[in-house]
Amino acid sequence: MSIVIDEPLADAEEIRAAMEFYADQEWTDGLPVVPVTDSYLNKFLATTKRDPEEVLFAVPHLNRECTVRLAAINAAMAGCRPEYFPVVIAAWDAIAKEPYPKRGIWQSTTGTAPLLIVNGPVRARIGLNSQGNVFGSGFRANATIGRAMRLTSINVFGLQPHQLDQATQGTLAKYSACIAENEEESPWAPLHAEYGFDPADSAVTALVIRSCMHIEARHTRVPEQLALDLANTIRRTGALIHETSSALVVLGPEHAQVFAEAGWGKDDVRQAIYDRAVNSRADLVAVGKEAISRHTRWRVPADHPDAIPDRASQGDAPDRVPALVSPNAILLAVAGARNAGVSTVIETFGVRGDTPSSIARVQEIGG
Amino acid sequence: MTVREKLLNPTGADRKTGGSSLAPRPASLRGLTIGLLGNTKPNAEVLLAEFAGELKARYDVGEFRSYTKDYFGTPVKPDLFQQIAADCDLVITAVGDCGSCSAATVADGIMFERAGVPAVSIVSDSFLLSARAMARVQNFPGFEFIAVHHPVASLGLTELRYRVQDVLPDVLRIIGAEA
Repeated sequence: MSIVIDEPLADAEEIRAAMEFYADQEWTDGLPVVPVTDSYLNKFLATTKRDPEEVLFAVPHLNRECTVRLAAINAAMAGCRPEYFPVVIAAWDAIAKEPYPKRGIWQSTTGTAPLLIVNGPVRARIGLNSQGNVFGSGFRANATIGRAMRLTSINVFGLQPHQLDQATQGTLAKYSACIAENEEESPWAPLHAEYGFDPADSAVTALVIRSCMHIEARHTRVPEQLALDLANTIRRTGALIHETSSALVVLGPEHAQVFAEAGWGKDDVRQAIYDRAVNSRADLVAVGKEAISRHTRWRVPADHPDAIPDRASQGDAPDRVPALVSPNAILLAVAGARNAGVSTVIETFGVRGDTPSSIARVQEIGG
Repeated sequence: MTVREKLLNPTGADRKTGGSSLAPRPASLRGLTIGLLGNTKPNAEVLLAEFAGELKARYDVGEFRSYTKDYFGTPVKPDLFQQIAADCDLVITAVGDCGSCSAATVADGIMFERAGVPAVSIVSDSFLLSARAMARVQNFPGFEFIAVHHPVASLGLTELRYRVQDVLPDVLRIIGAEA
């Protein structure tokens, strides 16, 4: 049986001409963008009570600021539907609270990207994926809300690669990085509730990320083994540019269940990972990262002219070097399908022991 | 739908406009106070000291004053900026050898020029495009800076001296001194 679709007619030549115009202006991440005019922009602005000229995020040293209007134009270009826009605004509100973006991290050779985690009822309303293939493609809300951040960075802040964006290699997350938490299959309170929000509210948490590494542990129901597998990835010496690291652990629902069945709460998981995310002094000597620079506090070998001892070497156990400052340097979320023992460790910038402040409520009209 | 509308410009407007004229150059370096602004990056202080040594050997400079930014990734903070602009007749700032600090080093130079203090910004040539892009977003596309051969951070003193010799004529030209 064949399905007959009544395909609409279009002037494809004109659509292509508009896309080529954006490409010629370099107003793109490399992929085609959606043409935006005032009448389409107004549909986005109608989803929020915020003033179109309100500044959502400013980078004074780049002499640029992102207003609600500019965020809307770029979200529309990224392919967002108008009803996604309150999530995009909350994402900028969250990014504005992050310490690193306003300090130039998006220009850095390190090559970071913003990652958004969405919680609350808005997920279902706009079709954000929190389940299988959560970091993958195929879901318009995830794909385009994440992309809206990138297009805005390029267009509003001038962060074009090879120009103000000097990433040595960058990260695949630069195209788009937006996930929703799988609250329904998490044994714990959702991420935004952990940080004081009403679970009935929606919120966006913004992080600055570089590497995403997946953890295969399908064999175990022993929480200590799983915590060690996660910790071994977090403590890797290659991640250590600074004295310590920090991480978002996105547990697959099965892994979250392993911990929950042992009676562990989120704090127990954090503590167990923190206790095990430790390098030996010899591990660090072997890669020339046993000391830190007195200027930048980046890790350097002990014979470097700027070298001073790291904090661990001044404590009771100098040969045991924790990769994390405290259990709070770990952020925990649950996402993905409940079909295998798979999780992801994402290295983050800017959460090194403090409670993350980069979380903002999604304000929907009538919501 | 046959309504035809203009496609919208998605780029950020300038927050503020500043002048794009260079500060007046001194007639001579005699008796002048020259500020050396380091950004904590490896070899920044050594590089600045080498430039100071070369200028001292050639001209009757009054004195050199050293300053250090507390964070390399963004421009110098207002308090320190005011102090340097008040104390110094000329500023050399180094070293832009990373993504954010190359741009910040150029932004610093532009701020000093706008405050009437001639400035020389030193970046590594791997970050030439970032430095130029910063001059553009600051509405000062003609700002001239020094690009030394990359790398800087990992060099010993002898190699650093070669870097300084390579660009010294351009430094002297930018500050308006005769070689």
